[in-house]
Amino acid sequence: MERERIQREKLRDLAVFERLNGNPAKSSQALAIKKFCRTISIKDVQASDMRPLNVLEDTLNYLLGFVDSKEHPFEVVHDFIFDRTRSIRQDLTMQNIVNKKAIYMYEGMVKFHVISHHKLWCSMGDPNIASMHHLNMEQLTKTLSSLFNLYEANRNSNDVHENEAEFHSLYVLLNLGSHSKPMGEPLSLWFSHVSTPILKSKEMCFARRIVRSFRLGNYINFFRTVAADASYLQYCIMEPYINEVRSLALSYINFGGYKLHPYPLFNLSKHLMIEETDLESLCHSCGLEIYTDEFGNKLLHTKQTSFIHPKGGFKKYSFLGLQDYDR
Amino acid sequence: MAYLSMGESHRRITEFLNRFSDAVSYQNGVSFKSLFALSSNSHFLLSLADALSLFNDANRLINQNENFSQFADIIVPLFRSLQHYKQTNFVEAYNAFEKTANAFVQEFRNWESAWALEALFVIVYEIRVLAEKADRQLASNGKSPEKLKGAGSLLMKVFGILAGKGAKRVGALYVTCQLFKIYFKLGTVHLCRSVIRSIETARIFDFEEFPKRDKVTYMYYTGRLEVFNENFPSADYKLSYALKHCNPQHEANIRMILKYLIPVKLSIGILPNHGLLEKYNLLEYGNIVQALKRGDPRLLRCALQDHEDWFLRSGVYLVLEKIELQVYQRLVKKIYIIQKQRDPARAHQVKLEVIVKALKWLDIDMDVDEVECIMAILIYKNLVKGYFAHKSKVAVLSKQDPFPKLNGKPVNS
Repeated sequence: MERERIQREKLRDLAVFERLNGNPAKSSQALAIKKFCRTISIKDVQASDMRPLNVLEDTLNYLLGFVDSKEHPFEVVHDFIFDRTRSIRQDLTMQNIVNKKAIYMYEGMVKFHVISHHKLWCSMGDPNIASMHHLNMEQLTKTLSSLFNLYEANRNSNDVHENEAEFHSLYVLLNLGSHSKPMGEPLSLWFSHVSTPILKSKEMCFARRIVRSFRLGNYINFFRTVAADASYLQYCIMEPYINEVRSLALSYINFGGYKLHPYPLFNLSKHLMIEETDLESLCHSCGLEIYTDEFGNKLLHTKQTSFIHPKGGFKKYSFLGLQDYDR
Repeated sequence: MAYLSMGESHRRITEFLNRFSDAVSYQNGVSFKSLFALSSNSHFLLSLADALSLFNDANRLINQNENFSQFADIIVPLFRSLQHYKQTNFVEAYNAFEKTANAFVQEFRNWESAWALEALFVIVYEIRVLAEKADRQLASNGKSPEKLKGAGSLLMKVFGILAGKGAKRVGALYVTCQLFKIYFKLGTVHLCRSVIRSIETARIFDFEEFPKRDKVTYMYYTGRLEVFNENFPSADYKLSYALKHCNPQHEANIRMILKYLIPVKLSIGILPNHGLLEKYNLLEYGNIVQALKRGDPRLLRCALQDHEDWFLRSGVYLVLEKIELQVYQRLVKKIYIIQKQRDPARAHQVKLEVIVKALKWLDIDMDVDEVECIMAILIYKNLVKGYFAHKSKVAVLSKQDPFPKLNGKPVNS
């Protein structure tokens, strides 16, 4: 690690978190963290380069502590943790560490990627961040896959690891959205390999109910279920699809609603768990006009022919009742 | 076990070697293939395994005769594999057999005609079965199972060799089906895509040339893929093909096909009769069919719950869940029919509260907002023709054909 630190100090290749007193050319043993190296091969690696498990655990905890840091923009934090945790995974793989401690570490890293999935999505307008989001998704699915292999490798009879159900539910929720096929395997086939205790767990039942409502188009049930039972991580994964459901609801109502009974946004905002002002904005994104009656109530007239599904995705909107999750 | 003498062991090994070289000389495919069928547990091979363990120096016998030594690369690992197999060291058995398979494939390329195709099939089959056994053993010892994945790569290589001109071509579909079995077991079904493309779109093969048995198996697996991807018209075509051409006496196979064809048919509005379900022991679908006929969402949910495990393991659960929309269509239709009998002039107006009440009788707790949502979905997807009036909380049905039939097409997305 010494070698790398000195070299990076010379090249001024130090992340903001690694700088001693903000000096871009100086770090310390405590601050410098091993970078991910794509082209590393087994024969080039020396035993001294490999960090032992306890060092890796401490490093990971240190890194994950930055997730909530408000000092720097999230993209900067994400970039740093993204790279350094990838290096940690590399060390774990090369040393073939696959025990229960590895499980906890991988769970922590998946959590990071899930939170990033949510936080980066807020700034998707910026093309740099959009590409970060995409790469994050790749690592999310990779790390989750490895985590599932670790659960299997550490299986004792029919025991289920304490967090196994929640992480399986995250996989299910990744399959939401009409254009999702993140892991390549069809969801039906994936379900057929999952053990019964996990399938019947609270977290998996939640995820399955969500997928069912989504596929049927039942927006009422979808939002009620999310509001009632979504954990923070589950919400983070689902967030990009929530507005897809909302726009689907708008298209159903616009199509089948009686022309002379315009739909009050007030009611609709309760069904779709969104602030009325945000709903108005969403309607506009979908090409729908909103009218205001003589009492100041906002209404959606149906049978508008201008409905479209927004091409560039959606802005970030509120979720009534889950404002805590939007920190 | 009867006492085995050195002399007898020597005789058994020599017999095998002679059979091998004779089979090649006379291009006797039937005799040849029996030499590789490890998992068939044939008396011939099992007794050979015993002989090999006792005799210990089979390699000398192989090398001292030119007829045998030219095939040493195939036979030496085969002997090793056989011994490991007899001692249930499946991982070692697989590793050795893989070497045999690779060497065999090299020779196979040089043989002009397709005389050894049956033997190739046996080898391909054994590779898969041995890999499965090896992986099971690895997993039970806490190690990572990777032999089946390797078997897949090997079979892809074999497929590549058969994909060309000449008589060997007709063997490609058999290998494809073995590959499908591997990919389905591993869950890596996206890997099926490239072989399917070679079989169906590349101009290499004429599908009709292949043996019927292989065509049925192929359509079964590709049909199942279409079910996973919810391409129902395509799934219907393929699974129906498999059903039509499957030997009617192979009832177990027919059952496997029906297991997937029934949910597909249900999704396009075609119901099987109960006799069919009884004949092929697929009564798990019984209540689903009833729920569709009666318009009873509660019965559907119970049926899904009662056989949840079976439906999930089969991979049809998600497809069956979606049938709920057709069940709602039927329920609303029944309400409409009852209203028509009482007051034909106003039958086409269905109060949402009436639907709420009907669902309540079925122990389904849905408020008027959710019922409105369901009606909106049914209208959007053309299961109901009409509109819903939000303020008066009424669904107004079209006077003409308010409940369009699916007519063999899946519900609109």
